[in-house]
Amino acid sequence: MHAPAWIAKVVNAAVFILLEIAALSMVTRNSSLQRIWVARGTHAVMGTVWGSTQAIRSYFSLGAANKELAAENFELREELLRAREQLRKVKVDSLDSTYRPGFSLIPAEVVKISKNKQHNYIILNKGYEDGVQEKSGIITRSGVVGIIDAVSAHHSFAFSFQNHDISISARLGEEGGSGLLVWDGISSSGAILKEIPLMYKYEQGDTVYTSGHSLMFPPDIPLGVAGKSRIVNGATNEIAVTLFQDFSAIRYVTVVHNNSFDEIEQFTQ
Amino acid sequence: MRKPNFWIAYVLLLIAQLLLSNYFHVTPYIMLSILPVMVLCISIRVGTVGTMAIAFVTGLAVDFLSEGVIGLNALALTPVAFLRNPIIRLVFGNEVFARGEDFSLQRSGFGKLTLAILLAQTVFLAIYIWADGAGLRPFWFNAARFAASLATGLALSMCTLQVLAPDTRK
Repeated sequence: MHAPAWIAKVVNAAVFILLEIAALSMVTRNSSLQRIWVARGTHAVMGTVWGSTQAIRSYFSLGAANKELAAENFELREELLRAREQLRKVKVDSLDSTYRPGFSLIPAEVVKISKNKQHNYIILNKGYEDGVQEKSGIITRSGVVGIIDAVSAHHSFAFSFQNHDISISARLGEEGGSGLLVWDGISSSGAILKEIPLMYKYEQGDTVYTSGHSLMFPPDIPLGVAGKSRIVNGATNEIAVTLFQDFSAIRYVTVVHNNSFDEIEQFTQ
Repeated sequence: MRKPNFWIAYVLLLIAQLLLSNYFHVTPYIMLSILPVMVLCISIRVGTVGTMAIAFVTGLAVDFLSEGVIGLNALALTPVAFLRNPIIRLVFGNEVFARGEDFSLQRSGFGKLTLAILLAQTVFLAIYIWADGAGLRPFWFNAARFAASLATGLALSMCTLQVLAPDTRK
């Protein structure tokens, strides 16, 4: 009775490997030249295998590394905001300028995001039990992402910046005019900065920042770069803006809440 | 099926190979070897494992009884035995195995036999020269040695074939 073909093939291969190993060990035992050559080859193979194993291990630990980086990023952002606030307080003391209230920060992760609608939304994994409140802003290191609209115990629902109902107070350049930044409704990185008075001169490529006039976002967060403009009704400029934020790759965000929001809102009601 | 005197011829050719290895050092560029064709001519009734064992022992015999690194011929000849059936299948087709007939110059033709020997010699010489050089010799030297050895080995193998798989029409 004949053994199945695959068993014969395995046996052939096994015997072949054994005989080759035996021959190779004889070669290396009897010649130092070949011994060094085989050792060098073996080391190269082992190096490649170990390198690949390490690369695979690193790939699978990317999630943990991302979380670590996000946490570190959040701490740095918090520190930056604190430093900015301290700087402003110094200005308040010395110049009696307008005082800016502080912002509290909460790191969060995007659970769901819609991108291909005219009214896009974001759901975050933090709710009121984590300290998230309605009318808080959502930012990343690349700009503004959205505004929290509703909060449950462990999740928050937010309007994405890619939403026709959302506008953000933005400033052109370091000390340029302020206007409203809205999504252009077409591309994922396109926005329009509206109502910039004609007297403010600007160059294409100037950075657009949050103005700080909104209660939801701290000032000086870079949002994008200014592009072409057109004059509207002979009175204001409307400037195309290319956003820094890539909405297709958002995962870790920071929820910012103005600590004096309710107090200031009382005046406006 | 090979004739009963095949194994006597095989041993005699092994002795001939020992003489070639020990006394015919024409130039460093030529390595005379009839071992691949000897392995190729072993009856197909001897399975791959048996052929590999014979090839390994043949290589070792040459290694021990001639000058050179012990194990080198065994290292290069065992793959020829391992690849013998695929080479035969590739060159002569599956009919050889179906009929259980060994190839010969009479049945298989000069061209096919030359190709089969060329493939067997290529496998043997590639491994032998590569391992013998141990990564120290330049590529051009190995390539020249390979080409010269292949040409002379092919001519020598065709003569060997007359002994191991003779043309019975004569």
